[in-house]
Amino acid sequence: MEIVAGCEWILALGLLAAGFCMGIGAWGPAIGEGNVASKAVEGIARQPESATVLTRTMLIGQAVTESTGIYSLVIAFLILNFIGRFIIK
Amino acid sequence: MEKVFQSIGRAFELVTIENMDSVNQITWRIGKVDLVINVTTIIMTWIVMIIIILFSYLGVRKLKKYPGKVQALVELIIDGLDKLIKDTMGEVGRKYLPLIATLFFFVAFSNWLGVIPLLKSPTGDLNTTLGLGILVFLIVQGSGIATKGLFSYLKGFLEPLVIAPLAVVINLAGEFGKTVSHSFRLFGNILGGGLIIIVLSDLFKYLLIPPVLHAFFGLFIGAVQAFVFGMLALVYITVGRGE
Repeated sequence: MEIVAGCEWILALGLLAAGFCMGIGAWGPAIGEGNVASKAVEGIARQPESATVLTRTMLIGQAVTESTGIYSLVIAFLILNFIGRFIIK
Repeated sequence: MEKVFQSIGRAFELVTIENMDSVNQITWRIGKVDLVINVTTIIMTWIVMIIIILFSYLGVRKLKKYPGKVQALVELIIDGLDKLIKDTMGEVGRKYLPLIATLFFFVAFSNWLGVIPLLKSPTGDLNTTLGLGILVFLIVQGSGIATKGLFSYLKGFLEPLVIAPLAVVINLAGEFGKTVSHSFRLFGNILGGGLIIIVLSDLFKYLLIPPVLHAFFGLFIGAVQAFVFGMLALVYITVGRGE
């Protein structure tokens, strides 16, 4: 693993950026999915017979909430890919 | 401490080199356009298709009133999906059952294929998922035109009419954004799960951890994502039909 001369700062900042991108980007979806799950549990506790419908709706809602987290994952991959291709030889 | 850094460096190498540069690529030059073909993805897709054909063939080869094991499994899944579609769309939705069931089976088997050593999930490649996303996009628009008629379908993009010029842009962006998020969600989940499996397994020296990770990221997340992919396609079609 060798670093292209003069690119040390780009490597360091790029790695930091990828980490921050994932860390901050996972924050929002985590809170959102937690909210969805807690409300679904409340609903199931109130009406246990609607558990199947609620679970299905909860999964779809969580998947939609998750997409912002997935976007930040893709951006982090792009940064890592850039580093792997051009900075590290 | 030195060892930790070394293993992190090794994990980084694994991630960037083995997974980001698709290993088998053929470039096809037609005129001035370069067509890049991912051989690995195509082979894996064919394997998935063979598995689905075999599964369906074995399931319905000898239909009996008291079903055998495979027939019972196929009936269970198809019946569940049928009921689900009827709940969401009503009786008209049943003509979309083949589409949704095929999407579900294809995505589920593709996700589960990554669990087997030496095989890769075709859904871990953006080209596959984007292809499926565009397919769903075209079907949504087509069924919208078929049910509402061309004029009122186009008029749907102008609503709310008070801010019509702005509404067109917002509606178009929303329509394309749906496709992008639909395909990127599947791609990101599968690729991210695969990378986490590789990196964590390497950090733990392939001791005890890989089966657990494969069970969670491969089987569980794979099944959930396949279900979500099919359900979202169904929801988009329902919204597109305007019912």
